[in-house]
Amino acid sequence: MNTAPLKPGEVSLGTTIMAVQFNGGVVVGADSRTTTGSYIANRVTDKLTQVHDHIFCCRSGSAADTQAIADIVHYNLQLLAAQEGEEPTVQKAANLFQQLVYQNKDALSAGIIVGGYDKYNGGSVYSVPLGGSLHKQPFCIGGSGSTYIYGFCDAEYKENMTKEECVDFVKRSVALAMSRDGSSGGVIRLAIIDKNGVERIFVPGNQLPQFFEG
Amino acid sequence: MATKTGFNFDNYQRNLFLEHGKENNMKLPKATKTGTTIVGLMFKDGIVLGADTRATEGPIVADKNCEKIHYIAPNMYCCGAGTAADTEMTTALISSNIELHRLNTGREARVVTAMTMLKQLLFKYQGHIGAALILGGVDCTGPHLYTIYPHGSTDKLPYVTMGSGSLAAMAVFESKYKKDLERQEAIDLVAEAIQAGIFNDMGSGSNVDVCVLTKGKVDYLRNYIKPNVRKEKEQVYKFNLGVTPVIKESIRNLVDVVEVNEMEIDQ
Amino acid sequence: MEYNGGAVVAMVGKDCVAIASDKRFGLQLLTLATDFEKIYKMTDKCYIGLAGLATDVQTLSQELKLKVDLYKLREEREITPKKFAHLVSSTLYDHRWGPYFCEPCIAGLDSDNKPFICSTDLIGCINFAKDFVVCGTTARELYGICESFWEPDLGPEELFEVISQSLLNAFDRDSQSGWGAVVHIITPDKIITRHLKTRQD
Repeated sequence: MNTAPLKPGEVSLGTTIMAVQFNGGVVVGADSRTTTGSYIANRVTDKLTQVHDHIFCCRSGSAADTQAIADIVHYNLQLLAAQEGEEPTVQKAANLFQQLVYQNKDALSAGIIVGGYDKYNGGSVYSVPLGGSLHKQPFCIGGSGSTYIYGFCDAEYKENMTKEECVDFVKRSVALAMSRDGSSGGVIRLAIIDKNGVERIFVPGNQLPQFFEG
Repeated sequence: MATKTGFNFDNYQRNLFLEHGKENNMKLPKATKTGTTIVGLMFKDGIVLGADTRATEGPIVADKNCEKIHYIAPNMYCCGAGTAADTEMTTALISSNIELHRLNTGREARVVTAMTMLKQLLFKYQGHIGAALILGGVDCTGPHLYTIYPHGSTDKLPYVTMGSGSLAAMAVFESKYKKDLERQEAIDLVAEAIQAGIFNDMGSGSNVDVCVLTKGKVDYLRNYIKPNVRKEKEQVYKFNLGVTPVIKESIRNLVDVVEVNEMEIDQ
Repeated sequence: MEYNGGAVVAMVGKDCVAIASDKRFGLQLLTLATDFEKIYKMTDKCYIGLAGLATDVQTLSQELKLKVDLYKLREEREITPKKFAHLVSSTLYDHRWGPYFCEPCIAGLDSDNKPFICSTDLIGCINFAKDFVVCGTTARELYGICESFWEPDLGPEELFEVISQSLLNAFDRDSQSGWGAVVHIITPDKIITRHLKTRQD
């Protein structure tokens, strides 16, 4: 699921990404490593892309493909907001992503997590993996690094976490994935989205949560 | 013929046959690549771009002093690495479109606009246009520096390198880059990074080109450093005139030589 | 490139330029003809040499000649070598995804009789050189020999000797080129064309 065939020389987001619901919003998080083969093309990448005021997507797979998709969705959401006179729901955004990924599944390698807040559903998380299916989940992890932390996340996730608990959960999960996955690393970038707006958090590489390292 | 637009695919099937056909294994001549070290760096009041000047065709150095920093707009320049024709043509195309955009809007174009045009073009061609670019410029929102990969992904960073010499150049940046460098410090650092590429990467060589972009001003420092000047030849191979055996000679005169006598001039 | 063989070289002199090619036309190692000149006259003072697949050499030279003639009819003036170089470049880049298998060398004098030479690769990347340009299967040998033989400010006759000796000695080390050679020296008032005596093996 995480390793779609990349074209030769293509820039990839070898990535750990996740999004988690809490009471009142969502927290999205990602590492910051972008690679071309074994070379780190960007060590402070922002894989969390804002597609509307209260909606973010986390990008994994090909950098070019996911940026192009995010740009198209961004454009369509702006248009939708202007036409309908209200902010689009997270579901609408997720559907746009799903349509694009499904209709072009032969040409794209993109695994996307959509997270955001809207006044009808509060915080919600959707996952759009490689083939272009759509899954609504209370929390979601993705990218090559996610395989290392499925167990950890299942054990640690609790329903109705507070914002602080949720941020801590995301930080620890991403840090664990980064320490085990060679194609994830760098810093942790987070975004907390709730009714008040967006708060961005930056965790430098030397202030990551510490775990057993042998 | 004149009304046709876009690329011409007439030879495509034929070339596949020539290269991979049953009894053929013709080698396609190599396109000129710019092995290249190109870099860009943000300093206190703008952007410095840098490039080496070697172009290669396989192992052969095709051009010892080519220009890899391309003009996009009066406030924007772009370094190109990869297939030389592709970098040349894409930057020229976007430069034209940016100029039209400027005339349409009556405003100076923004760097993001050029970046978006480039990434959408390159994404459309799915990496087949082999252009790896560093786009730098200063607009009404301040200085901007982007890298654009052949597949159409972009990064925005304070210091960037690309091309085969990018590792050597990045090593210099990673150890010496500081925020808010002075103009001269920035130029020196860029020149050092390019020289790291020139001397440690086989695909890069010859001279250092530098381009300094600040608010309302551009300084294109062509051949800012020439670390590889050829020594004067110690001997000359002068041939005696007439040593080459000629079978046949024909001369096509472009002017008529007319004999004029003085009497006629007087009249 | 290796299918038909061929060598083309162009050089800058003092108020003149020279362009030369071999005359072999072969199919891999079999020589079919020894009168295949690869240099075509585009305007009075602008010549193009095309090395590569012979079918493309002929097709491209005809397409370019057509464009140059149409330019003259439209603009009522002769195309300059530099403009012609860009015409060649965009013609080749039109065929980016199905290229002509040939590399051009262009030599000419512009409207002020200033020398101009350049070469492009098969998809139209222009190489503006101040000294010499080479292409064809003999490119490697030519690069080396021209680098030592060429010097600035050669007069037409000196330039003839330099370009001839460079080409002759270079293609003697290339089995796919040779069998006669032709040199054009372009000066402001005349074009001198000389056919050279060469080895026939």
